[in-house]
Amino acid sequence: MARQFVNWSGSLAFTPGGYAEPADEEAVRDLVRRAREDRTKIRPIGSGHSSSPLVRTDGTLLSLDRMAGVIGNDPAAGRATVWAGTKLKALGEGLYDAGLAMDNLGDVDYQSIAGATATGTHGTGLGFGNLSTQVAGVRLVSGGGEILDISARDNPELFAAARLSLGALGVVTRITLHVQPRYELRRRAWCAHVDWTLDHLAELQHTNRNMDFYWYPRSDQTQIRTMNRRDREPDIQPWAAGREPGPGGQPAEVEVGPTHRTIPRHRELRFEEIEYMLPSEAFPACFGEVRRRIRERHRRVAAWRVLVRTIAADDIALSNAHGRATTTIACLQNSSLPYEEYFRDMEAVFRQYGGRPHWGKKHWLAAGELRPLYPRWDDFQAARRRLDPDGVFLTPDLARLLGEA
Amino acid sequence: MPDIGRRVWVIPGGRIPFPAHGAEPEFTGFDQLCVLNATDETAEVRVDVYYEDAEPVGPYLIPVGARRIRHVRLNDLIDPEAIRLDRPYGCLMRSPVPVVVQFLRQDTRLPGALGLATTLAYPA
Repeated sequence: MARQFVNWSGSLAFTPGGYAEPADEEAVRDLVRRAREDRTKIRPIGSGHSSSPLVRTDGTLLSLDRMAGVIGNDPAAGRATVWAGTKLKALGEGLYDAGLAMDNLGDVDYQSIAGATATGTHGTGLGFGNLSTQVAGVRLVSGGGEILDISARDNPELFAAARLSLGALGVVTRITLHVQPRYELRRRAWCAHVDWTLDHLAELQHTNRNMDFYWYPRSDQTQIRTMNRRDREPDIQPWAAGREPGPGGQPAEVEVGPTHRTIPRHRELRFEEIEYMLPSEAFPACFGEVRRRIRERHRRVAAWRVLVRTIAADDIALSNAHGRATTTIACLQNSSLPYEEYFRDMEAVFRQYGGRPHWGKKHWLAAGELRPLYPRWDDFQAARRRLDPDGVFLTPDLARLLGEA
Repeated sequence: MPDIGRRVWVIPGGRIPFPAHGAEPEFTGFDQLCVLNATDETAEVRVDVYYEDAEPVGPYLIPVGARRIRHVRLNDLIDPEAIRLDRPYGCLMRSPVPVVVQFLRQDTRLPGALGLATTLAYPA
């Protein structure tokens, strides 16, 4: 009998029919063809960091852990091709060794590059899209067992869907990334009252390469984090003002290092999370309502920080930053504490302001609510039906999410 | 430095006041641990939190540097788990070196009024 799968946070557990760890694309193709013949399901899985049921299946969980590493790079073109199972931490090291770096990263680096890009994982910064925007091309094994290269040049009509695919188009085996020459960042962190942070938010966001902040619901304080290239630091130094001791004292204030070691944080403590992507112009009113409701309704149980970040607009079909400059609000809660009442109430607020849920985190939306939020929803569906006509990758959870029978 | 204090301390009567009134963080209602470590070694204080109706949660790790004090609001602890506001609890603290532990409560439940209560923790 197959062993139980449990995700990183512990709230998603199921027993698949089996596990597979193919070592090459031919083996992936064999598994897909067999599943198609047997009318069983396959779900590709990354590192299991997502807490939404994207990978839940009674079929086969397909891990790409054996297909990991940098395949090659072209510094002149600013491209690197990697195996899809490469974990972000290892990817950062591999690129660094080649003198290269991804332009932006998320808050943690446990995920695989395929999982992170398939779910729209993002970092922060007005000038940076989510990680899917760094995808210049993918190779995948479709539901029909065909190996396809998809990019702006190859099968371009599928590119907007394939850069963020939820693992619904096929098993992505290789990803070509836009990369940069490596460089160093300086990270700063300090605490300030939420009123000071909101008053200075636009300035902080526009003068720093990356800026985000945590709001602490039990003290009304914030921790502000900025990152800038060491060779391009802004003249304005707002951290000199507004500083006060935070709930945990003063954070470590300055840290310097390459992007892949400076942007992600190590997080051992497990938590649940809901995150919504809002049109940036709606952020002030939405955050005001989030803050009010947490203080009035949820403060007894909600002690964790609320994280605010930004994402640049893109043109990817299912990207939750599609077509609009985006500000995100994420609520976190200890995995061992109840979260559903709190998160559902937050979701109601986020939806009032046109929010789109993070695909890999907690939310309670299905196709009926999601479709109106995505102008290119039908393009993605058309790509999915073309690449997986027999539904090899279409589990009941995905069918509910995508509105497929 | 002399070894002042004890290695085990107890606070049986915790209950973080809720709701709070007034500007924050100055008027946030809180329960706070105030730890003095007069020794020449860092005190890795481990706190276990006990409840009426659930198993203890912990340890919460609170390092206090050599010859330093540290004030920690129990409201702010999240690792391993946030302590719910307005819920009775008690806590047991263990330190590898002698320390002194004082308990402070700020209560702003009544609008316009501020109550402060403090006591030494029980040295077990």
